[in-house]
Amino acid sequence: MTVTAPPELRPVGSLDETRAGGRTRRKPASRLIPGGFVWILPGLIISVGLIYYSIVYSGYLSFFDWAGGRSRMIPVGFDNYVEALTNPVFWTAVRNTVIYFVAVFVVQVLGGVLFSAAMHSKILFANVYKVIIIIPVVVAPATLAPAHLQVWQTNGTFNQILESIGFGFLVQGWLGQSTTSLLVVTLVGCWGSIGFGFILYFAGMAQIDPEMLEAARIDGAGNLRILFSIVLPNLKPITISLAILNFITALKLFDNVWLITQGGPAHSSEFLGTMIYAETAGSSRNLGYAAALSVILMLIAVVTSVVIQSRSRERVANSEELPRV
Amino acid sequence: MTTHRHMAAAGLAVAAALVLAGCSGSSGGAGDAEAEPADSGEVTWWGWTPDTPVAERYIEEFNKEYPDIEITYKNFENVDYRTTITPALDSGEGPDVFDLSPAGGSPDLWGPYAIDLAPLAEETLGSDWQSKLGDGYVEQLTDSEGRFVSLPLGGMAAGFLWINQDILDEAGAEVPTDYDSWVATCEKVTAIGKTCFTMGAGGEDTFPTEMYHAIANSVDPDFFIEAATGQAAWDDPAGVETLQIIQDMKDDGIIATNALDGTQYPLANEEFMKGDAAMVQMGFWYTQYSGAESCKAAMEAAGVSDPTCFVQMPAAFPDVAGKGNGSAYFGEADYGLAINADSPNIGAAKTFVQWMTMSETGQQNVANALDLLPALQGVTPDWDTIELVDTEVQRPAIEQLISESAAAGQSRQWQTSETTLDMIVLAIQQILDPTIDKSVEDIAAEMQAGAEPTDIGLD
Repeated sequence: MTVTAPPELRPVGSLDETRAGGRTRRKPASRLIPGGFVWILPGLIISVGLIYYSIVYSGYLSFFDWAGGRSRMIPVGFDNYVEALTNPVFWTAVRNTVIYFVAVFVVQVLGGVLFSAAMHSKILFANVYKVIIIIPVVVAPATLAPAHLQVWQTNGTFNQILESIGFGFLVQGWLGQSTTSLLVVTLVGCWGSIGFGFILYFAGMAQIDPEMLEAARIDGAGNLRILFSIVLPNLKPITISLAILNFITALKLFDNVWLITQGGPAHSSEFLGTMIYAETAGSSRNLGYAAALSVILMLIAVVTSVVIQSRSRERVANSEELPRV
Repeated sequence: MTTHRHMAAAGLAVAAALVLAGCSGSSGGAGDAEAEPADSGEVTWWGWTPDTPVAERYIEEFNKEYPDIEITYKNFENVDYRTTITPALDSGEGPDVFDLSPAGGSPDLWGPYAIDLAPLAEETLGSDWQSKLGDGYVEQLTDSEGRFVSLPLGGMAAGFLWINQDILDEAGAEVPTDYDSWVATCEKVTAIGKTCFTMGAGGEDTFPTEMYHAIANSVDPDFFIEAATGQAAWDDPAGVETLQIIQDMKDDGIIATNALDGTQYPLANEEFMKGDAAMVQMGFWYTQYSGAESCKAAMEAAGVSDPTCFVQMPAAFPDVAGKGNGSAYFGEADYGLAINADSPNIGAAKTFVQWMTMSETGQQNVANALDLLPALQGVTPDWDTIELVDTEVQRPAIEQLISESAAAGQSRQWQTSETTLDMIVLAIQQILDPTIDKSVEDIAAEMQAGAEPTDIGLD
């Protein structure tokens, strides 16, 4: 039986160009457009209009000193970018972003894999544990922020626990110190991220061919060997995706930080997201400077994502070229 | 069939483009700034203050005189207001009346959306209308092009403390008047398990600048405004001494150890309203919580169920520098009401703003709410209609507070740029943060380097 694909599904440039009478006959341009294109056009216009127009407009705004509304827009060239790149708070925010990304990513991967492996084992009340692990993912940060504040403030739960177990010498103002405020924000981030890693890894592990695992067992591999030699390599695409998502999340981080420390004290827990918000919502707002920060943020996100993607592809290609032993 | 499909898709594309065009905003319909005050209509009013119950009382009184004008008030948090009002006004869908304060260059930022209210003020109060409003209020609410864009509803002052007299009585402590007595009072208060002086200096709020201003006034009454306007430097000896006093207040237990855990609202406000702290530094607006009913609402909002009100008293900021300067109050117009130039209801809006800000009845409501100092000169609270928690004790203190607040000779934030206010907050946070190892002199020098002086209010 021969299956013939409808014309609109055929690859462009292969069958559409036919020779007739020794001359190349081109089909009208409209026939070269994929069949469903016209149907996604409205959505495309909206997304391009709302997203890419906003990005371009932000780029335009970044060359002005502008408080918004009908206040005067004063052209300042690249001054906003220079101001951002020479502002120590900007570099504190970049440093915090990297620290947050690394810490949350590591905890998410380790926590996600461990919980997923545990849930694929036969344990009692597995569904209860799953719910407990996933709850932090689904609850809004604004809902949880008061609880986190209660835990970490000077007379909060954490210090009370330290006192009660004889570690009173460790009691301190976790939120109100430059050395610990970022730690609190990062711990809150870790706490909320494990569930998301768990969801992806749990689904990923379910996709691994049971015969492969069975073969490994027949060959004498133990649980740990199976985890590190079979399961984790098969989950590599998930790990790469988590790395990209985590980095973008760290770059855009705003809600938890604003609700818990507002980037303080003394900008010690500042992130790019909180800097941008402070510039747009503060009474001394400068939308041009905020736009410049947004453009820098976007460039970092795009470049980093491309680098992570291309590096991971190179490694996959290299590993495929390795001779099988 | 294909043609129909393409036409349908093109139609959808056009619809999408129209949606985008709709999203891009419009210039709005131009209102008639010359419209005469009207006796009927619908008016929307947006503001970050007053609280909704207070606004509802104002509106209720207004409707007794103007039953055919319907006022709809929408209250926002401070930050939400700033992020909402501009796009709303830009889109032409903004409120008819909106709050506009003198702080942070607001008259220039939002003034262009408002009509010039000088003609309305002159028509209502006569040719000497400026002298009938609070001292300096007109200048503070005039934009750089000379348009009077917001009619003041009232003024406020700061630079003093609010005391929970019940806690002081329980601790056997006195209201502090200088640095040493403040330390002694705090020792007694903390001994009964209460916080002595609560403040929230974390985050980006500029409330902590009021403590700096009050201490600076004790060191040198002229220093703060001079530094804000570039006539003195923040790292001058007076500035260094001010920061040193804050450092001492932390070390000597006056400032609570949790001061950087959060912002003044909610941290300090809730701690004081729950009855957990003996003192807090808040401005004149806090007077409203001396009321027998409003204090209950404030305590409930702070998380106290079935509250019993405590006796809340204003007290002068202690003369912490010990130079005999005391600590002068500072104040300005708190906010005014602006009328949206694009409003289709300018006539009714004028009636409402006129009544609220320039009629004796409207201003009497403002005075009786104990939230603001009335903008119209000569209006004072009608004590027969105000019920305090302990009238005998509180009324004389509040009357004195009103008198001294109205006479405040310094501006609160009007002459200080937001950048400078941010630098003051940053300096205070560095002083209070036990993990930052910088000298007071270095912190003062950083403050001076980052501050932006203004020339506002300079002749």
